Amino acid sequence: MIRGVRARLTATIVALVALTALVLGVAAYVFVDARLHQQQLDDANNQARFDLSVLIPPRLSSPPTLVQITDLASAFKARALGTIIVPDGAEPNYEPAVLRGALDAIPADVRHFVEGGQIAYSWQTVNGKPSLIVGGRSAGTGPQIWFVHDVGAIVSALDQLRLALLVGGLLVALVAVVVARAVAGGVLAPVDEASRAAIRIERGDLSARVPVTSSDEFGRWADRFNRMADSLEDTIVRLEAAQTQNRRFVADVAHELRTPTTALVAEASLLRGHLDALPAEARRTGELVIHDIGRLRDLVEDLMELSRFDAAGEEIRTQPVDLGRLIRDVAGARHRDTVLELPDDRVVVDSDPRRLERIIGNLLDNAREHAPGALVVARLTSSPSAVRVSVLDRGPGVPADRLDRIFERFFMADPSRRGGSGLGLSIAAEHAELLGGELRARNRDGGGLEVELVLPVTEPLPRRDPAAMDEDEAEDR
Amino acid sequence: MDARILLVEDDPSIREITAIGLTAAGFAVTTASDGLEGLERFKSEPFDLVLLDVMLPRLDGYEVCRQIRRTSTLPVVMLTARSDTMDVVLGLEAGADDYVRKPFEIPELIARVRAALRRAGTPADGAPALRLGPIEIDLAGRAAARDGRELALTRTEFDLLVELVRHAGTVLSRDVLLDRVWGYDYLGDSRLVDVAIQRLRAKLETDPTAPTLIQTVRGAGYKAVR
Repeated sequence: MIRGVRARLTATIVALVALTALVLGVAAYVFVDARLHQQQLDDANNQARFDLSVLIPPRLSSPPTLVQITDLASAFKARALGTIIVPDGAEPNYEPAVLRGALDAIPADVRHFVEGGQIAYSWQTVNGKPSLIVGGRSAGTGPQIWFVHDVGAIVSALDQLRLALLVGGLLVALVAVVVARAVAGGVLAPVDEASRAAIRIERGDLSARVPVTSSDEFGRWADRFNRMADSLEDTIVRLEAAQTQNRRFVADVAHELRTPTTALVAEASLLRGHLDALPAEARRTGELVIHDIGRLRDLVEDLMELSRFDAAGEEIRTQPVDLGRLIRDVAGARHRDTVLELPDDRVVVDSDPRRLERIIGNLLDNAREHAPGALVVARLTSSPSAVRVSVLDRGPGVPADRLDRIFERFFMADPSRRGGSGLGLSIAAEHAELLGGELRARNRDGGGLEVELVLPVTEPLPRRDPAAMDEDEAEDR
Repeated sequence: MDARILLVEDDPSIREITAIGLTAAGFAVTTASDGLEGLERFKSEPFDLVLLDVMLPRLDGYEVCRQIRRTSTLPVVMLTARSDTMDVVLGLEAGADDYVRKPFEIPELIARVRAALRRAGTPADGAPALRLGPIEIDLAGRAAARDGRELALTRTEFDLLVELVRHAGTVLSRDVLLDRVWGYDYLGDSRLVDVAIQRLRAKLETDPTAPTLIQTVRGAGYKAVR
């Protein structure tokens, strides 16, 4: 099976040309072969008839003498003809002598015809040479005379013809290959154009089109393709505009909320110090106000953060980060009761510590929200190819069919519970993507959710400067 | 005497509650609602510290900070609307000593203000003079000079230089510098350190792109040459 339209087309054309050349060549050869042999045979027959009836009888007495026979043989030898003269009841005369035995190879029926006075022939190989032997009786009743013609010339001519046909056939086949490739290329050029256009569209260049150069099937197809691309481009441009508008709206809303939120946060922080001074009936309200301002703050901050992702102006500042230490710090600052499972060895990655902090913090927040009061585990593992930070909870988990949606914005596994903003995991996922890693979620055996941050290790983990290590250790103490 | 603070903030609610919080914490607060008013107040009265919003009408916070820096080294703390690198870097490049992200809680703001004031008021101790290559440091006068010409360092830059030179030859991590120079005791923003080092180099080094006095130790921090 030949793959590819171009190759199939080429192979088909070449096969057709080669077959045609072969048939023509064989036919020509067979024809020429038959004509040459027939010509030789006719000539030999005519000559034998003439010689036997006109030329020979006067030169032979009855019975012929030995001298007459040798004279006759040498006369034919001068005409480049071998002869075997067989007088009845006497020894045959072979001229030249190598013809001795040649008669034995002649089929019996041919000899029988000749004995009966007719002229007959046989194609033979005599003394290694292709020959035509024609026999008959002198004057129909005299001695049998066999003429041996050397037909080597015909055979070598046919050999040359065969060689010429073979070489010619090969040349034709070669030319056919070249022509066929050119033809296939020409036929398939529009396909290549279309292919290039499709690749450009795939790579995001929506303006790519196929040139319409003909009104044939390809031309019509190219036209359809271009219309499809037009409509695709229109749709995408519209969607992008809508998305941009949508994002700008979110960014504007977040920005506008920022100032009053700042005032509220500052006010709530002062109010907290005065809660005790409030009348008992107002104190709970005060507490709730403070708590909800905190939620509002988180929501606005999350929105601001997302709109920064959308603006795509994100800068990544990499430096060596001791992940175990970072996890300990984040858990210590936000969720002190998190169970840490950290390896004994330091795990240091080249990454952006602020983003890692945000990811791990959000994962811990999420686990805490969905599994209040239950055990939350933060686990760090490393392999030569990747570093993994898993946060495991014993909450209700997420239904399997919604598991792949939990990194979407505002997705809530359980809409009846209003914990965080619904943005924490999607923010974490966007940060992870910026760092070249990803977040994965799965339900745990025995209940609960595991969310895992996978960071690829692209280069050998950098060794830290011993002096800096000392400083860090001093800090740890 | 109570420390005097100039608060420049355009949003009336934020301005009022911040003033209330700072006053309650024992500071004498003067407020201004836009950049120009802030500059006028700064020129007409003495202050110990300026709290400066970035997004201000008429004259933005960066420009106000730059103008203050022409005549004064008093601590300036920016109130940045976002924690974007650009905001932070622009603020520090304008000469600010520290920044507080909005939204902020009043106790957090007060802690940053106190830390900035403490550093500004820290009397010199130990050896009266230090040296880093061609740079002479006068601890008592809080001044540094290169070849006899005084360098215009902000307080933060001066403190950072002193911290590095006191431990010349030792690598100091960003966290350590944040703690000792800025007074952060937990997870500060290491960009503060990086930007301040860049500014310091620009003033100290003959070729800031190939620093010879203050070196970066990749993955570890910074050190002054011994």
